Amino acid sequence: MSENLEFFRDTVERILTDTLEYDAFLHAELSDTIPSALIAALIENGIFLALVPEELGGVGADLADGAAIARAFGDAAAPGPLVETLAANAILAAAGIEPVEGLATLSFAGGEAAVPAVLHDVPWGGVAEAVVVVTRTANGAQVALTKGSDWTASAGKDPAGERRDCLTAYAGTPVVGTIADGSAPLRTASLLRAAQQLGAIEWSFRRSVEYAGERKQFGREISKFQAVQQMLAELAGHVLATAGIVEAAASNPAETLVAAARSRLGDAADSTITITHQVHGALGFSREYALNARTRRLMAWRDDFGSIPMWRVALAAQYTGLSRDKFWPAVSDAANAAA
Amino acid sequence: MSATNLKLELPQLTPEAEHLRQEVRAFLAEERTSGRLPPAEKIGLGFDRDMTRRIAARGWIGLTWPKQYGGKERSALERYVMNEELLAAAVPVGAHWVADRQSGPVLLKFGTEEQKQFFLPKIAAGDLTFCIGMSEPESGSDLASLKTRAEKVPGGWRVNGRKIWTTNAHRAHYIIVLARTSTVEGSRHAGISQIIIDVTTPGVTISPVWSMAGEHDFNEVLFEDVFVPDDGLVGQEGNGWNQVSAELAYERSGPERWLSSFRLIAELIDVLGPDTRTATLEELGRLTSHLLSLRQLSLSVASMIQQGKSPNVEASIVKDLGTKFEQETVRVVRNIISSEDLVSDGKAERLQKLLYHALTYAPAFTIRGGTNEILRGIIAKGIGLR
Repeated sequence: MSENLEFFRDTVERILTDTLEYDAFLHAELSDTIPSALIAALIENGIFLALVPEELGGVGADLADGAAIARAFGDAAAPGPLVETLAANAILAAAGIEPVEGLATLSFAGGEAAVPAVLHDVPWGGVAEAVVVVTRTANGAQVALTKGSDWTASAGKDPAGERRDCLTAYAGTPVVGTIADGSAPLRTASLLRAAQQLGAIEWSFRRSVEYAGERKQFGREISKFQAVQQMLAELAGHVLATAGIVEAAASNPAETLVAAARSRLGDAADSTITITHQVHGALGFSREYALNARTRRLMAWRDDFGSIPMWRVALAAQYTGLSRDKFWPAVSDAANAAA
Repeated sequence: MSATNLKLELPQLTPEAEHLRQEVRAFLAEERTSGRLPPAEKIGLGFDRDMTRRIAARGWIGLTWPKQYGGKERSALERYVMNEELLAAAVPVGAHWVADRQSGPVLLKFGTEEQKQFFLPKIAAGDLTFCIGMSEPESGSDLASLKTRAEKVPGGWRVNGRKIWTTNAHRAHYIIVLARTSTVEGSRHAGISQIIIDVTTPGVTISPVWSMAGEHDFNEVLFEDVFVPDDGLVGQEGNGWNQVSAELAYERSGPERWLSSFRLIAELIDVLGPDTRTATLEELGRLTSHLLSLRQLSLSVASMIQQGKSPNVEASIVKDLGTKFEQETVRVVRNIISSEDLVSDGKAERLQKLLYHALTYAPAFTIRGGTNEILRGIIAKGIGLR
């Protein structure tokens, strides 16, 4: 682990601890707001500029550092377009556009137009000050920076109660840039979301292990029951396997590793939701209890920035057509492949 | 990582390890070209003494051992890379696998100077095959309940008992038997010892146990008043449990725990060709993502072992996940063969043969070397549940 990475992780964890009350996620959900103290502290500490190069006024950290930040966001179930802003600024910078000062969100759109007529399912689309639209072109990717206020938003909610809005009737002039590596923006956003999911998975796992040691039934802690032990041991496998592949992808965000991480996370997220709720019994189902702040986010994030099936197909496509003895070299050299 | 006390490190493969990988690939290419390594039609470690000798001639058996005992003093990571290359290619390594992975390292760690000098160079040369006498008819997961006894007699030990599921006993030269040598009040684990026995010793009877996969790999080994000289004792009398625990840890996180059904995927991809339905790609992508994440994890554990750490819980997780993946592979490949109608297309003769063998072999993946339920018990303890 690099010193940078530890520094970012510690800074973000401190900010999260200092600014979020234990029920911040619930308050945010019920009042439809984003915790302002958290956002102010993240902006003040330049966290959203972590992935922007120094010459564009950023911090110049690498994606592994960004993943450590996103992982801490997910662990804390911090509300708001936090990963979106982190990723949006990184993508803007890659397209040679200045980062935004406030909150931003991201939309990956199809079609030719730099700014499509409608953007569906945009996280915090009606709230973010900037909406970054990424479209694929024959020569790479086109990145359009639009003002959130130039869109008409119809509000929706995801399973975690966070905003998912539909944006239409854009009435502004975008700042447009291009990126030669057309799939790089999606890989960046997807990897950061993956790290955020991993954080939520780790919190849920950790809390479930603790809870199993606290909760007593039949005169002993439920952690003493083999049925509970076997479930949590299975979950430990998901957590460790996911952490390994997400960290590998963060240090080398090649298509193969990002696709593998997102695909593996799909299964890990499903098992995390099932097992942690099973261990918590009825308690976890209560809106006030912090577990479902994580598990509902896992439900919401599962297919963001490239769905799980999309990533699985993309991963398999790297191998189809190989002869029987070329498959293993392709698998084993994946970790060394250039991003 | 932060969750409980599980640890993970980004594995760093050394240039030496990557260099060795290329050497192994060149060896495999030669073996394939010469017809000595045909495409696999079976699951499991094949047994081929000539192949073992050719591997030995490269210096790849006992790779990490001291040079004075026939080793090459290379790193554990290099050995890891060599093994994943050999296993992914389904090279028949059965004649030296156990000796290289377990018996040799146990002798190196606990054996006498004479034992090391006698056995290790012969193993490294590919001349000696070992088998492991642990399980008994009444002692599987509860290994400490074993009944095989070794009584002290003048000049040696007299062994009586019965071992079962002993892989390759009928092809091996030596068996390392776990036997009770003394009784210690209040401890089931104390008083157990490891004894090395020449399988041709009078009183040793080996009979086959045919597997449901149609193989004779397993055996029952009966010991009736078998005399073993004093120099057959491995390590300290009574310390066998600790020695075996260390030995079992060696075998938990290696590539053999997630590559057993690898050839099935390789063969399927070969047969499928470039045009494949989206639903098939999705299934294949999911399977491959598990493969990549397992390898990453397994490498991470190997990396930590290389640094002198003891990632025991993490190693148990690799075996739990890896063996389930091996079974899942068989299921997924079977489904794709059906949904793509590969058999009626006449494209899948070898693949189907391999699948049938894999289907009947697969139940063993999550049992051999410690059942997954026992492993999850170890994991549960490791994360603080008991």
